[in-house]
Amino acid sequence: MSIERLRRIDETRLEVPIDYREGMRVHGIIYVDSALEKGLEVQCVNQVANVATLPGIIRASSAMPDIHMGYGFPIGGVAAFDISEGIISPGGVGYDIN
Amino acid sequence: MEVLYNDVPSGVGSKGRIRLSAADERKLLLKGARWAVENGMGEEPDLEKTESGGMIDGADPSLISAKAYERGRSQQGTLGSGNHFLEIQYVDEIYDEKAANSLGLFPDQVTVMIHTGSRGFGHQVCTDFLEVMERAVGKYGFVLPDRELACAPFSSPEAGDYLAAMRAAANYAWANRQCIMHWTREAFMKVLGRSPQSLGMGLVYDVAHNIAKVEDHVVNGRKMKLVVHRKGATRAFPPGHPELPAAYRHVGQPVLIPGDMGRASFVLLGTEKAMEETFGSTCHGAGRIMSRHQAIRKAKGRAIWRELADRGIIVRSAGRETLAEEMSEAYKDISDVVDVVHRAGISKKVARLRPLGVVKG
Repeated sequence: MSIERLRRIDETRLEVPIDYREGMRVHGIIYVDSALEKGLEVQCVNQVANVATLPGIIRASSAMPDIHMGYGFPIGGVAAFDISEGIISPGGVGYDIN
Repeated sequence: MEVLYNDVPSGVGSKGRIRLSAADERKLLLKGARWAVENGMGEEPDLEKTESGGMIDGADPSLISAKAYERGRSQQGTLGSGNHFLEIQYVDEIYDEKAANSLGLFPDQVTVMIHTGSRGFGHQVCTDFLEVMERAVGKYGFVLPDRELACAPFSSPEAGDYLAAMRAAANYAWANRQCIMHWTREAFMKVLGRSPQSLGMGLVYDVAHNIAKVEDHVVNGRKMKLVVHRKGATRAFPPGHPELPAAYRHVGQPVLIPGDMGRASFVLLGTEKAMEETFGSTCHGAGRIMSRHQAIRKAKGRAIWRELADRGIIVRSAGRETLAEEMSEAYKDISDVVDVVHRAGISKKVARLRPLGVVKG
């Protein structure tokens, strides 16, 4: 099943456009090919988009091909924030620290 | 396998061989893997080949709750349960001979991979600070699309406290793997009657995949200090990065991708492209496709251990349910995941490792 409104950038990257949901400051990028895209759950995409709304996020809310649902942030997610304007969130690290 | 299973404590809430006093535990939280080495468990070269030298600065043990201390004291030096494992593996495929050579990997070589973290200690730190952050959201007037995104401005006291506590948990995890690596070497020595040195049991690399770190990155041509959150994502720094040990400076940072117990694990290298696109990050594992509950249902009436034994993989596990939860079908095929990050150029494949023996919690 492919999820509406996602845009394929190239063979390995899928874009979650900045207007996917309200309040996104950057776009999302999910590293999946068309085969793995079939197993991509909409809840995971929503998590990538939610992270993109956080203050101070830089460049993109990214997710790796092993993405699955996590607490707030997806597991398989990468998000970087400017230390002068951005935030830090325990959900962005998860329970299993390190 | 028998000796490894007996010598490395595993299972839910497993208790360790280490008895920590409160003072020891504070030292461990500050010094991480270095604490273990100073206490006779491992050697200096292990630390050189560990991310952040196995000891991240800025940890503050005074911010840790009594409950986290309590959970941490008995669980240091334990594997735990879930997807954590200790595996004896062998190198069954090399994708880049030159790179493999630099990492000391060659075809049919026997390797050991240890996948575990900060156990109940880190779990408690996360729980404690989610509460703190939920209060901070109101205090700083954030409107969030999901309350699970609870956070605080990086410059706030709440953020500083979380970062210092998370760093203590990161150090706890590095100490944990260092202890387990030491006992693994001892187990091989006991069984084979040869020293770890003569068996070539040096550490290839130790890397985190659930951590937030303050790092320098170039964004639109400008150098910036960022706090990079990697949750189920592995640091993958390129050749030449100053944080790499001298031995790997020319090839890039080794990335370890632990797979499920029936298929494979991978060793990759970090790239410049990862630096440009993903703040020097890549994938971390296979990724679940079935919930733990679904997997248990699917495994009903099956002997997962025997299915694996038929394929030449010996499994020892404290819990029957863990084997069901962790069976291969519960995960994406790790090869598909690794192929994508390789083709995307955010890391490159060096070697594939196949399991021979698995210790599971």
